[in-house]
Amino acid sequence: MADGDLSVRLRGLAKSYWRGPLEIPVLTGIDLDIVRGGYYALMGPSGSGKTTLLNLIAGIDRPSGGELEVCGFALNQLNDDQLAGWRSRYVGFIFQNYNLIPVLSAFENVELPLLLSDLGRAERRRRVLRALSLVNLTDRMDNYPRQLSGGQEQRVAIARAIVHDPELIVADEPTGALDASNAEEVMVLLEHLNQELGKTIVLVTHDPKAALHARTQIHLEKGVLDRTVEVHDRPRLTPILPAPA
Amino acid sequence: MKFLTLILRSLFRSRRRTVLTVASLAVSVFLIAMLQSLLGTMDALTTSAGSGTRFVVQDKASFTNVIPLAYANFLRQQPEIEQYTAFQWFGGEYQDPKNFFANFAVDPETYLNVYREEANLPSIPVEQVRDFLRDGNGCIVGQTLADRFGWKLGDVVPLRSPIFNLTVRLNIRIIFKGKRNSDETFLAFNIKQLQEAVPWMKGRVGAFTVRARNPADIPKLCERIDRHFANSAQETLSITENAFNLNMMKMLGDYSTMFHSISAAVLVAILIVTANTMAMAIRERTTQISTMRALGFTSGRILSLLMAEGLLLSLLGSGLGILMALGAADVAAKQGGALLPWLADFIITPETLLLCVLLTLGLGLLSTFIPAYRASRRPIIDGLRAL
Repeated sequence: MADGDLSVRLRGLAKSYWRGPLEIPVLTGIDLDIVRGGYYALMGPSGSGKTTLLNLIAGIDRPSGGELEVCGFALNQLNDDQLAGWRSRYVGFIFQNYNLIPVLSAFENVELPLLLSDLGRAERRRRVLRALSLVNLTDRMDNYPRQLSGGQEQRVAIARAIVHDPELIVADEPTGALDASNAEEVMVLLEHLNQELGKTIVLVTHDPKAALHARTQIHLEKGVLDRTVEVHDRPRLTPILPAPA
Repeated sequence: MKFLTLILRSLFRSRRRTVLTVASLAVSVFLIAMLQSLLGTMDALTTSAGSGTRFVVQDKASFTNVIPLAYANFLRQQPEIEQYTAFQWFGGEYQDPKNFFANFAVDPETYLNVYREEANLPSIPVEQVRDFLRDGNGCIVGQTLADRFGWKLGDVVPLRSPIFNLTVRLNIRIIFKGKRNSDETFLAFNIKQLQEAVPWMKGRVGAFTVRARNPADIPKLCERIDRHFANSAQETLSITENAFNLNMMKMLGDYSTMFHSISAAVLVAILIVTANTMAMAIRERTTQISTMRALGFTSGRILSLLMAEGLLLSLLGSGLGILMALGAADVAAKQGGALLPWLADFIITPETLLLCVLLTLGLGLLSTFIPAYRASRRPIIDGLRAL
């Protein structure tokens, strides 16, 4: 596979934490290719290193060793400010607890990543409204997070993750705080983003049912890659998202 | 500007805490502005329009001691001296000891000339000057003092002095309008009354105020006078009028150190209050800050946003405190001037306001910087706990 088709390329990736003089290895020798437009679920028991791997791919943690290339950038070679700039352009984040800013409305939360760009007010507004319409929350845009249900909050978070049109969306247990119905809704939404907008999605989940939405399941065990499973019977969804403007 | 909404909303996310902090800052700024202005007003009392050309000759040991009137003979012989006048603190009480105001026994004729700037001599009607000089029981009072007690020309003012155990009944002959309100808060009458009624005051005065023809001559005049009376029964101390006034003010204690100490304590209090508020406000938002950094906000931008919050908090407190101080200064000058005469000149100068603003902003930045810097440098994954 040509490197240009890869969104993520990991070679010999390692991560250790230090507790005083004691080195605690979390990830060891990870070799992994994630293709552009793919949908991957990182799975494994607690302590297997899946969240650490996601953090490294998302550029919010630094590896202890190995090569880490994401969206065409060798993240090891970027300093902290360059890495922040890279994240603002290439990565959309979805957190388990939504992590919306409580003092900002749904609209303002979604607009937040765009404040880091040079876009004018009108263009920012156009993009925010489009992102909110993708998650079907335009009518709640003036509501604050405390005025929204958990499912709605996560949909606002998804709108925030896609508003700046990133190549990669990383999600850590995006359904972990939701009931079954809302969880299914969020997973279907992510699937639509993958199938219709071509976003590369990497999510961490414990839930085998949620993992079935991914095209590839990556299983980790004690910090090493255990196996990769392709999900073949994944149905093709009927498009529901509005066409890109 | 596009971050202004975020800054304002973050600042007021806990409205009660922010309002209370702003109120604490405002009270602190108010206290500093008032104390520094009070200090400035009291220091200004030690200088007056003509003080640059005047000096005081007093007893070397203490200005509460009297010196011989005959010392005037030597003063008269000095060509550099334009005029001198003798005076004595009377300490008279009007009706009630609470009605305090400064009152002196003076030599009327020379007094008016030596203090011509303060008394605004050219503006006093000639007939009033004539009446004052002719009437042995006449007195001169400032407009502010006359207004305080509702005195008019011709009124009789009884003054009882516990120092001399003497009551004098004075006829108001001049009510003058000075250049400053505080110049109008005293009364002066003919020293002959005192010298005739009190045996030990015969041929004695409290001190001389001397007016030099040229201010440059004052140091050598002081030195010459003190040298002349050295080794006499009562040696003299000749000092500038400003220094003399300062000594009088110091009877209140070392107010300058006291006020500066209180101001410093208030500043430390501001620092602690703001630092505590900002530390709490930032600590509560650890996850929020880490989320923003994950979204692409650099450490520098996060630091700037948090510093802007601290700055805004300080500005609000500072602004409110200054408004309170300006209002209080106005009340102090109008109402307080009746109780404490020198308060009549009480104002808050632009320099004091600037000092307050700069101090609060400096402290706001200082108290915000440490928690903001730590928050902006904290590893993102620590703040998020899990991603």
